[in-house]
Amino acid sequence: MSRDRTTVSRLLTWSVGVGVVALAWSTPVVAGQAGDTALADDLSPLTVADWDEHKAAHLLERAGFGGTPDDVAKLAAMTPEAAVSSLVDYHTVADTLSPFDASPIWDPAMDPFPKSRAEAVRRARETGTSMGVEMLPEGESRRLQPVVNKFFYGLRSNAIETQRLALWWGQRMLLSTRPLEEKLTLFWHGHFSTGNTKVRDTRMMLRQNEMLRAHAAGSFRDLLLGILKDPAMLVYLDNRENVKDHPNENFGRELLELFTMGVGNYSEEDIREASRAFTGWTNSALEFHFDATQHDYGPKTFLGQTGLYDGTDIIEIILDQEPTAEYIAGKLYRYFVRQELSETTRAELGATLRNANYELSPLLARIFLSRDFYSAPSVATQIKSPVHLVVSTYRKLGLQEMPTIPDFNRLTASLGQTMFNPPNVAGWAGGRTWITPGSLLQRGNLFRTVMFAETDSFYPPDRVVPGIYASVARRLEQGMNITAATQEGDAESSMLADRDEDYNTRYGGYMGYVMAFEKLKLVPRRTPNLDLVRLVNEAGANDVEAVVDHFIARFLRVPLDQVDRDVLVEFLRDKLGADQLETPDAHSEAALRGLLYLVLSTPEYQLA
Amino acid sequence: MTFTCGCSRRDFLRKGFYGLGVGAGLPVILNRTSAALAAQALGGTSLETNPERILVVVELSGGNDGLNTVVPYGNDTYYQVRPNLGIPEHDVLKVESGYGFHPALVGFERLYKDGQMAVVHGCGYENPSLSHFSSMGYWHSGVPNGGDPLGWVGRLADRAYDHDAQGNMIVNIGTRQSMAVQSRYHPPLVFSDPGRLRRDGTGDELDALAALSPEVTSANQALEFLTSTAQNATESGELVREATSSYHTPVDYGIGGLSGSLRQTAALIAAQLPTRLYYVSYSGNSFDTHVHQADPHARLLAYTADAVHGFIEDMRRIGRADDVAVMMFTEFGRRVEENASLGTDHGTATPMFVLGAGVNGGMYGRHPSLTDLDDGNLKMTTDFRRVYATMINEWLGHADTRSILKGSFEPMGLFA
Repeated sequence: MSRDRTTVSRLLTWSVGVGVVALAWSTPVVAGQAGDTALADDLSPLTVADWDEHKAAHLLERAGFGGTPDDVAKLAAMTPEAAVSSLVDYHTVADTLSPFDASPIWDPAMDPFPKSRAEAVRRARETGTSMGVEMLPEGESRRLQPVVNKFFYGLRSNAIETQRLALWWGQRMLLSTRPLEEKLTLFWHGHFSTGNTKVRDTRMMLRQNEMLRAHAAGSFRDLLLGILKDPAMLVYLDNRENVKDHPNENFGRELLELFTMGVGNYSEEDIREASRAFTGWTNSALEFHFDATQHDYGPKTFLGQTGLYDGTDIIEIILDQEPTAEYIAGKLYRYFVRQELSETTRAELGATLRNANYELSPLLARIFLSRDFYSAPSVATQIKSPVHLVVSTYRKLGLQEMPTIPDFNRLTASLGQTMFNPPNVAGWAGGRTWITPGSLLQRGNLFRTVMFAETDSFYPPDRVVPGIYASVARRLEQGMNITAATQEGDAESSMLADRDEDYNTRYGGYMGYVMAFEKLKLVPRRTPNLDLVRLVNEAGANDVEAVVDHFIARFLRVPLDQVDRDVLVEFLRDKLGADQLETPDAHSEAALRGLLYLVLSTPEYQLA
Repeated sequence: MTFTCGCSRRDFLRKGFYGLGVGAGLPVILNRTSAALAAQALGGTSLETNPERILVVVELSGGNDGLNTVVPYGNDTYYQVRPNLGIPEHDVLKVESGYGFHPALVGFERLYKDGQMAVVHGCGYENPSLSHFSSMGYWHSGVPNGGDPLGWVGRLADRAYDHDAQGNMIVNIGTRQSMAVQSRYHPPLVFSDPGRLRRDGTGDELDALAALSPEVTSANQALEFLTSTAQNATESGELVREATSSYHTPVDYGIGGLSGSLRQTAALIAAQLPTRLYYVSYSGNSFDTHVHQADPHARLLAYTADAVHGFIEDMRRIGRADDVAVMMFTEFGRRVEENASLGTDHGTATPMFVLGAGVNGGMYGRHPSLTDLDDGNLKMTTDFRRVYATMINEWLGHADTRSILKGSFEPMGLFA
């Protein structure tokens, strides 16, 4: 820490640039509530006497996605132990949600799906067919076009199907009676980062998602073994290329650096040796497959021990290391509590995890019951992820079905988070990295599209050909040949003679959409089912001040100051033209939605 | 914890991000003399010798065809593998023996001949990925075949600036934020259309939002961060709109996406923004020329060279030529052989370009062999992170490239 500080101050001299920026932080940060701050790093359990609605709301926001005042009141009426248990021991609560309703996009000939368009074409050239599609007979033009079309069909249909999958997951987050299960699954998705952009197979992404969910609060050992045998992960980390003669170190590196121990606890040699132990771990379509012919059966020396290890032995050695439990416990802590944790907290939570033989629920219960979790540095200090921001807003509104206008994936993606497509193997950085000046404005603006959803200007991403392919479609409709239709630029293209070639990639890209749209199940489109007049009526808030106070209490984890509250009250009074919410008409509803847009646009609302 | 000036964080926030009175409206074009004086005043204590230097990173997304950009016209194999797409020798803008630019790159030819452009041949990384997503991710993070939640420009800002420092350390002009500028401590200012850097809503709503008080001090550091970023967003939006709309230059940047972005960059530099890290990208996978490549590629190259040439020229005009360097990259080159659709498919190694008055012009590194290939693709000859290290160390004067690039990469002497 002190080293950091020296570095920082030395580096600052580099920083000032043209010198207009004047920066300083001379005033020490003063704690608001000294009593609460004193609880920081105290892992002993909270007592019933300290339990109240605020703490219940904090628990629900963090261990889930927040909820309505009723949801909070139910938790507040319990003891802290019972409240935490109701979230952590969720296996006792029935899961009533339906499984994912997959579109019939796969046929058996598509397995294994070629890694690239070039490979798809190569297969067809060598065998006459690829992905179940035959090359056209000699003499036909573009003999490989059907193959290329099928390849792009595979890409497009899986990309869009994965958006459907993300919507399904978002709906689970919104409606699940086991919210911590979904919150944990999202954590593991970021921890064991895997992206469909590379995997290109929604079935594998679903399978992984179900595996993560099944063990989300169970045993970390099962999760680790599950993910290392998971087809999507094996594809994502290219473990097919990890073979005895050419071990691929990616797998071992990610395993040690990102999944289990963190940097600084192993050597490059350990990475190589671990990778050797996982040679031959591959997949056959949706199943794990151990390819004994590619496995390196020789002795390995890993973390100071030598033996004829295979992957499962390596996992056990990793789990024996103290840094592993501390790394996992620390990362869970940062996800659920706050960015900084002390060495002692880290060590103590690591010991909790290790002593429970890597069962996760005792660790989670300890975190959520701890005084530290309810201390000032932990409460309302977390910047919501885009997924949390959107889902928790819908939960707090009490929505019973997922709105699809605006599109759920577009909302989160435009703020920097696309489920099933994290930025890279390291997952989402989280915290302050969610925020830029522009994204902060966007976080507010998006809620305007939720409050005043537009159906006229909405186009569904699962049925509209995007970008350059739209112009291909237009030109084909105008009667152009494929060469001309796929040419960029304008007038001169219509003059082009159709070329004799094996295939046209851009036409294939276009046809991929057309074919995908035929098979993909349509996402039902609906705007948010909002009734804010009823919502405030049910809360017993009738005059403008009571309405504003209700919104502040219902949506914000940090209170607004008096000035801001007055601004909101004035806004509502102006909009209603009255002090009371008298008639439950469209005018009142619009006024309330405008007010809620303001509340959801505040910096305070970004905090969980 | 007081640095460099006596004003407190509170003063700072009250004054606004550019040291200007916020309430007074924003006549934002700052006085160059005062900025220069401020920079000079720091000279005595600075580790850095050139605190006015600016880096502009230009991303050519989609995978630019390096072989048809810097054409190895002296190599017969080139014409054998590119029977239709090869640039005929008499069309090549020859700058070195055996090498020249695509005929659309008139702007590059001029800069090269003026000694203001360095070409680094064969840039790439070991075990290259042919996927746009993966490869671009590697260039962004600077960690090929690995991952990092932060980008290399972001880590540069994190290392170089105080973590609490306010203001826009990084400006990213593009339709979406590049992963390259993902920083732990310094949110990049990202925009494409400055008009979008504002809140939506009716007049009433906007008035109310503007009236909400900026709660600048709080025990809650996350809230302080958010409120200061919100204030920065509002001010920066105004500033960027003001700076770009009031910027008039006689210099011709040409047409195409990059011309607008680089003109906006010039406007912000002319407005004396303290930002020193700019990141500009093409939208979409513009350079992904699988089909009928010749015309669109020529167009893209012309747009690119015109815009960069205009930008360098404009920097000279406003007296900042010595302070600005441009580094250009793409996620991969194209396959050596052209395909059957008169295009090229995803490839590997590709040249990088560094431009500016301070550059030691010329060609660097070794051009990859056109015959000793890896499954039909070029074998890289220079790790791209050496060019990053060059910009960080030689240009910006930040010695510790190792922690930023997560490894040791020798600078290339492009500025020495």
